[in-house]
Amino acid sequence: MSQVPTPQQAPTTPPGGAPAGAPAGVHAVEVTDLAVHFRVRRGLGSVHTVRAVDGVSFTVGRGETLGIAGESGSGKSTIARALVQIHRPTAGSMRVGGREAVGLRGSALRAYRRRMQMVYQDPYDSLDPRMNVLRTIGEGLSVRGVARAEHRRQAAELLERVRLPETLLTRYPGQLSGGQRQRVSIARALAVQPEVIVCDEAVAALDVSIRAQILNLLKDIQQDSGISYLFISHDLSTLRFLADRVAIMYLGRIVEHGTATTVFAEPQHPYTQALIAAVPEVRTARVGSRPMLAGEPPDPASPPSGCAFHPRCPRATDVCRTTAPALRRKASGSLAACHHAADAPGGTA
Amino acid sequence: MPDAPLQSTGPLEGGPVIAVDRLSVTFPTTGGDGRVVRDVSLAIGRGERVGLVGESGSGKSLTARAIMRLVPRPGEVSGRVLLDGVELGVGATRDPTKWRGRSVAMITQDPLSSLNPLVRIGPQMTEMLRFHRGAGRAAARARATELLTAVGIPDPARTLNQFPAVLSGGMRQRVALAIAISCDPRLLIADEPTTALDVTIQAQVLSLLERTTAEHGTAVLLISHDLGVVSGFCERVIVMYAGRIVEAGPTEQLVSAPAHPYTRALLASVPPIQGELPERLPSIPGSPPLGGARIPGCAFAPRCPIARDVCREVEPELRAQARDGHEAACHAAGDPTWEIPELASTAEALP
Repeated sequence: MSQVPTPQQAPTTPPGGAPAGAPAGVHAVEVTDLAVHFRVRRGLGSVHTVRAVDGVSFTVGRGETLGIAGESGSGKSTIARALVQIHRPTAGSMRVGGREAVGLRGSALRAYRRRMQMVYQDPYDSLDPRMNVLRTIGEGLSVRGVARAEHRRQAAELLERVRLPETLLTRYPGQLSGGQRQRVSIARALAVQPEVIVCDEAVAALDVSIRAQILNLLKDIQQDSGISYLFISHDLSTLRFLADRVAIMYLGRIVEHGTATTVFAEPQHPYTQALIAAVPEVRTARVGSRPMLAGEPPDPASPPSGCAFHPRCPRATDVCRTTAPALRRKASGSLAACHHAADAPGGTA
Repeated sequence: MPDAPLQSTGPLEGGPVIAVDRLSVTFPTTGGDGRVVRDVSLAIGRGERVGLVGESGSGKSLTARAIMRLVPRPGEVSGRVLLDGVELGVGATRDPTKWRGRSVAMITQDPLSSLNPLVRIGPQMTEMLRFHRGAGRAAARARATELLTAVGIPDPARTLNQFPAVLSGGMRQRVALAIAISCDPRLLIADEPTTALDVTIQAQVLSLLERTTAEHGTAVLLISHDLGVVSGFCERVIVMYAGRIVEAGPTEQLVSAPAHPYTRALLASVPPIQGELPERLPSIPGSPPLGGARIPGCAFAPRCPIARDVCREVEPELRAQARDGHEAACHAAGDPTWEIPELASTAEALP
């Protein structure tokens, strides 16, 4: 938890800039200028390029949680999928534990997968229904080369870490509740002893009373083991609770990035402000009286000119329609990509 | 039975639009006694907005489906539903198509599953108007265009010729809402209408739902797992747990002074977006019971931080609390001798 940067320490490498030159091993994850583009066919013969992720840079410190927030189509899950090597980046670098992860093959790729595990949204889909809990966790142990004779003992220990009784080892996913399944998914990820766990909407499918338990559990595990999380969620309240730093994404780009405390207390980008205002909370204003963002996110295959947010932005002016704003250090200490948020004195990120 | 007092009624003028009296839904195939909705009684006045909150398996969606007579086989429904004082499913209302979609309309979480994917939006909208209202082809088409405009569809003429799949989630929910209000229903049941939507689109759809129903004096039963959504929209909130109503009351009262430990836990376990942030989240151990499970005494007792022996033996009645219209089914509610500790911040799966 010592990696939370003060506003003076740059939390990211600025897009297009040189890597920060930090010694290898400082960051668990260092992503620089990551781009993931897809070619999609629309109708007959017309091919578009969708820039699902474009020029994204961030770091995750050891023992730190970086939260990535955004709506559907913002590219947040594409980042997760690039990191676990489901999608191949179009450009950019992803360093994990100081080593480059783009372009890995064969045994190097297998070694990489040991350092990076993922917990998915839906534990109903991500656990094999024909494998009991012992075999599910045992697969992770085998990856690490743990002898089969050791599996039962170590799997029981892992269950204890996720606060499940050893008696569940012989159960199948169909016999577990949603919360128990997600705990088994976490135990399976921990079995590999990764440096980083990517959580893609890992609590979104859970009931409220179960969600709180899992969030507490993830915090406990991090405090005990110093593991890093990249936590991807559309739920800002969850990110505020769990993340040390957050990145807000819109249409494939980071529009705001800073410590969770600062971003939630002093959001700089009008999109971040709108997202926070739209969170339905008990004791906030009634539906009709809340400020509301008009329109819908644009088609990623034909993004707007200038700032991608300008068609929905209440503060948009001519410059927003023509010039894409750079991600710059703002007066709050966060980085934000907005022409209308005041820059930090003397700072250009 | 016919004159059984209706519980959970708030202040109503001119009688409720809908009155649900001891509604139960039983599935013989599930475990326990199979009663997944237990003796739910509620009433909603004209133009009133009432929220039904609960987690998976609480019976909230089945309550809505039972009102709509849409409980799938082999589910069995008992109890009565009265629309403007007329019992549904009896005599003239025996055929649900006489009132379903016309007097009581429903929108669901995913309009893709309620809209026919193979039929353009236009015919799906005009079908309702022609069937229930006897509108002619041209009149129905004109009315459909008006309705789409009213729900904020930018190019109604174009949308009428489109298939549901090409619309965004937010636009589909707008279309579903336009169809739902097309026959000017007395009650609109909205089952998780914004759960699948992004937060900024959710705000738009809720605001639209509020505006359109207020204009027509349509009563709304909003079903959601999210107390935040419900409390921003509804005048009254009903909380369900394990098939029963455990608490009901005016929104203000229920969120500021919840009487049931379950409601209290639901409120506390969501991290706040502003203000002081706890290091750990208050939470309750364990999971909600599976639908239909038979639990002796209070169904919440196995997870309840303040449960005593009586809770495990005697099922608490839904009783009126000190404030008007506020009810709770808890032995401890309103009992000053019952100490109520702070909620623990557990990460435990099982008690």
